[in-house]
Amino acid sequence: MLSRVADSIYWMARYVERAENLSRLLLSTQDLLLDAGAEGVDEAQFWQPLLATTGDEEAYSKLHKKIKGKDVTEFLALRADNPNSMLNSIRAARENARTVRDQISDEIWESLNSLRLFVESAEGKTMHRLQSAAFYERVLRGSYQFQGIADSTTPRGEIWHFLRLGTCLERADKMSRLLDTCSGLSLELPPHAQARPLRWAALLRSCSAWHAFQAHHRRLDPSKIIGYLLLDETFPRSIACCVAEAQAALQSLCDDAGLQGMPAPLRHVGRLRADLAYTTVEEVLATGLHEYIDDLQARLNQIGEAIFQTFVQHAELSQLPEDALVETTSASGAYHAHADEDLQVQQQQQQQQ
Amino acid sequence: MSSLFNDYQPESFFDEVFSKSGKARPHYEAMLDSVGSLTPSEYSARQKAVDAAFLRQGVTFTVYGDDQGTERIFPFDLMPRIIPQREWETVEAGLIQRITALNLFLNDIYHGQKIIADKAVPSELVLSASHYRPEFRGIKVPHGIYIHICGTDLVRDGKGDYYVLEDNGRCPSGASYMLENRNAMKRAFPGLLQQLPVRPVDAYGSMLRETLAHLAPSGVLDPVIVVLTPGIYNSAYFEHCYLAKQMGVPIVEGRDLILRNDRVFMRTTKGLQQVHVIYRRIDDDFLDPLVFRKDSLLGVPGIINAYRKGHVALANSIGTGVADDKAVYALVPKMIKYYLDQDPILPNVTTHLGVDPKECAYILDNLDKLVVKAVNESGGYGMLMGPHASKKERAEFGERIRKNPRNYIAQPVLQLSRHPVFVDDHFEGRHIDLRPYVLCGDRVRVVPGGLTRVALKKGSLVVNSSQGGGSKDTWVLWDDPLTMPAETTPAA
Repeated sequence: MLSRVADSIYWMARYVERAENLSRLLLSTQDLLLDAGAEGVDEAQFWQPLLATTGDEEAYSKLHKKIKGKDVTEFLALRADNPNSMLNSIRAARENARTVRDQISDEIWESLNSLRLFVESAEGKTMHRLQSAAFYERVLRGSYQFQGIADSTTPRGEIWHFLRLGTCLERADKMSRLLDTCSGLSLELPPHAQARPLRWAALLRSCSAWHAFQAHHRRLDPSKIIGYLLLDETFPRSIACCVAEAQAALQSLCDDAGLQGMPAPLRHVGRLRADLAYTTVEEVLATGLHEYIDDLQARLNQIGEAIFQTFVQHAELSQLPEDALVETTSASGAYHAHADEDLQVQQQQQQQQ
Repeated sequence: MSSLFNDYQPESFFDEVFSKSGKARPHYEAMLDSVGSLTPSEYSARQKAVDAAFLRQGVTFTVYGDDQGTERIFPFDLMPRIIPQREWETVEAGLIQRITALNLFLNDIYHGQKIIADKAVPSELVLSASHYRPEFRGIKVPHGIYIHICGTDLVRDGKGDYYVLEDNGRCPSGASYMLENRNAMKRAFPGLLQQLPVRPVDAYGSMLRETLAHLAPSGVLDPVIVVLTPGIYNSAYFEHCYLAKQMGVPIVEGRDLILRNDRVFMRTTKGLQQVHVIYRRIDDDFLDPLVFRKDSLLGVPGIINAYRKGHVALANSIGTGVADDKAVYALVPKMIKYYLDQDPILPNVTTHLGVDPKECAYILDNLDKLVVKAVNESGGYGMLMGPHASKKERAEFGERIRKNPRNYIAQPVLQLSRHPVFVDDHFEGRHIDLRPYVLCGDRVRVVPGGLTRVALKKGSLVVNSSQGGGSKDTWVLWDDPLTMPAETTPAA
């Protein structure tokens, strides 16, 4: 497979997952506000962590002075000038799909193209204004549909492994940021079994873990929740589970490519998986949740970088004898935002009679 | 006849469906019976379903102008254009004759230039063509074929006679719409396609692949073929992708390719893989920054050298633009005579050359009656539709012709044939042309039918998608299904 295609498929999956996670966050924050109920609640308290999770506090503050629900949701969902908005994630997913549409099934392409048509449509904008929850649910469904279709139409080869890698690494990254927003909260056990510490409950809901967690644990014990979402390999959105899956995908890719020894991405992912498997939640809390997650995120980035180096950039290419005369062209990669203008102009100039 | 066509007026034009007396032509009867049984709203519902499917599937082209590049569906009119077997056989023979002569011409121009030495065509006209590549003279290309994929534009005049309007021998586009239109028709009118002996077009992908494989360097049994696209911002990106998928080959950009020892490789997840044949949809000028435009961001440094040495093949070859230059077009009947000693089966449209002082004066005196075209433009750009233009536009164009007469030709305004097109809730006549696709590999093959393009604006004679054109499916109807040529059924 072309290196550029691999990168595009990986990022297509990441961007879909990114939009899905944002939908989940927005939905659960809205629910949380409703649960908090009482009038005079300071909304900013609820929306601020959301901006922190997506890392957009600074960009937001350039547009708005105050943190207001209406502004935050619009900023995160539909603003075209917010590169991390749901709209732009879905666009980027679709543009990457477009560059590889000969490689993916027609059904995958159509599902992403339809999702993009929806979020860009007047209907979508109206729905977001009047019934934002329905809008987020529609995006969630779009992501589920994408994953279901991808699962049932993609041969279990390279394309599939790059898809899974993108999904798992994005999911792990977003889960870690979500956990980080709770790192300042009290870890006290609730006074009785029925008590529902709202923020912790919202955390579980935002990753569809409410029922799964309750099946194991009677009480919403914060440290158990952290352990579950961070270290439990059985729950599909937990970081441990994502890392385990990423390891399996990388193992197949390295085997397929006939890479000798222990390639860098496999080494990094294997080591992280082992750490997650042999760490207890008590140890995490002793280190400090925030500090632990900081380190975790750095390691996830390191895995992503190693994948790029190994499969896209081809560190080993530079070892081949190179013709002195021939310049090397720039490296291939996925679509992330607008291409530079010169390139775009030249692409358009090419006469198609 | 049905109510849908009750008020239809063929007017004074040659109508593809109805004769002057208003009677349906025999090859349209079965279809009219079927379409006629629908009410306007039923018909309209089928049309809308097809439009929605095209948008969802992204069967689009890109309109330039705003920074995102708006993607639009290529407007599609459901009622197919039908060509009976007898007519098609003539068209096919004419196209094969023409492409054969064009390839002999190119091979000659890039080698001995005998046709010029024999004064069968004027030397300065040919050698001044801006797409002529003198640096390519003497370079051997695989099997001496220069144009492997050709999209020839045909029109019919007021009497229904076919003419060649232009030869597109660089990067002809539109084949993907031909294929998608047929798919749409299968869904909209399944019964009709089952009932009528319509020649299939879906073998195009495998035919194209065979044509390209034929070019592979000798000794390469299982060549690696790729489609080289400028990228997602090109108007025809959808088509590049679509054709790659039909052929089952990768679509690459210049940055995916790299040269080693005068051989072309693509960067894959498993390292470098050699490429043998490139179906390129990039202009000559941008192919190789070491040879042509240095500022090209789309090309592959060194690729031309690899091509010269025969390690990789390009389709179409370099410098084919000299043959589809609209002034050189006027010489094609002479080429057919010179190389094949035959008369053209499909005639040219009368063409006045700006480069000839006498004809230039004629053009300038008759701007209000002629169509004037720049010799290297396509897509309906760089042209003046004399009778429809304002005085000011004509004056401006006249100035351009005076400044650079070699760059312009003029033709009489043909009253192109018309075809019923569904407008709101009824049918109206619109002008059409026909673009069949011709493939030259071990033999010349013409896809039965092609893309019928429609000038959707009332009265307009310009069919290009960039100028408000649309398209129709084109059915070549065979008299006897048992004699239908077999090469058009897709390989298993």
